Amino acid sequence: MSILCWVMAPTIRLTVPGTLRYRGIAVRVVAEAARLVSCSVQRDPDDPLAHDVRDPFDTAVVSAFMEIFNNVAIHAYKRKGGGTIEIEITPGEREIEIEVRDHGNPFDIEGVAPLPSDLDEESLPEGGMGIHIAKTMLDEMTYEPGPPNLWRLRKRLTEQPIAGRS
Amino acid sequence: MPTPFETTRSGTETTLTIRGSLDINTAPALAEEIDRIVATKPAKVAVDLASLDLIDSSGVAALVKLYKAIRGYGGTIAINGARDQPLAIFKLLRMDRVFNI
Repeated sequence: MSILCWVMAPTIRLTVPGTLRYRGIAVRVVAEAARLVSCSVQRDPDDPLAHDVRDPFDTAVVSAFMEIFNNVAIHAYKRKGGGTIEIEITPGEREIEIEVRDHGNPFDIEGVAPLPSDLDEESLPEGGMGIHIAKTMLDEMTYEPGPPNLWRLRKRLTEQPIAGRS
Repeated sequence: MPTPFETTRSGTETTLTIRGSLDINTAPALAEEIDRIVATKPAKVAVDLASLDLIDSSGVAALVKLYKAIRGYGGTIAINGARDQPLAIFKLLRMDRVFNI
């Protein structure tokens, strides 16, 4: 079935306290915003609160955003909150841009160690994967220490034109 | 809301079923369950991810901890059923080959 679902969407703004308690709200908003671009369809329309991230574009956007939200709550706000996380989502016809601002401690992104190149049982990492996941899932990811600290995430659709997608 | 994880035992095999979202908010509780599983040193552990919809790096870390612990005492572990976003994450991290998913 061919569909044409995209309509001009304004920037979506969401501000939540900078704790993991509010992660789920933010992730759901981002997942639905990604769906505006990918035109993916909920598996169960009667259960709009189900975690339903199957489309590759939605997968990339949600996976990256979850890691950045975790990073801000853990590193910027040290799991204690005390500030806000400001999220701006701009869905476009063939891409999405997400800006995440916080007013906590800056993150040392240069200090993130790369994952081991040859992965085996011994070298399986038990941490330090979040930034790698986010960066690999996205087309662009930048970080500017603040205040406010600013993460800018961008993902483009790489599939066939919208009218040809189903 | 269903329980995010469930452990069943049959003979020498323990099956851990994980549902919904395994993430930074749910992984700590799973880590406690993993400690309980490892303490009994089951010969074989099967992890069923067929009902797992989302995972983040904290969830992956919890599974890596389980994998290493089971292998550490010579047990066998099979991770089955990963799909959609979780499977994409395992592939991105190249863990699908180690976990033989």
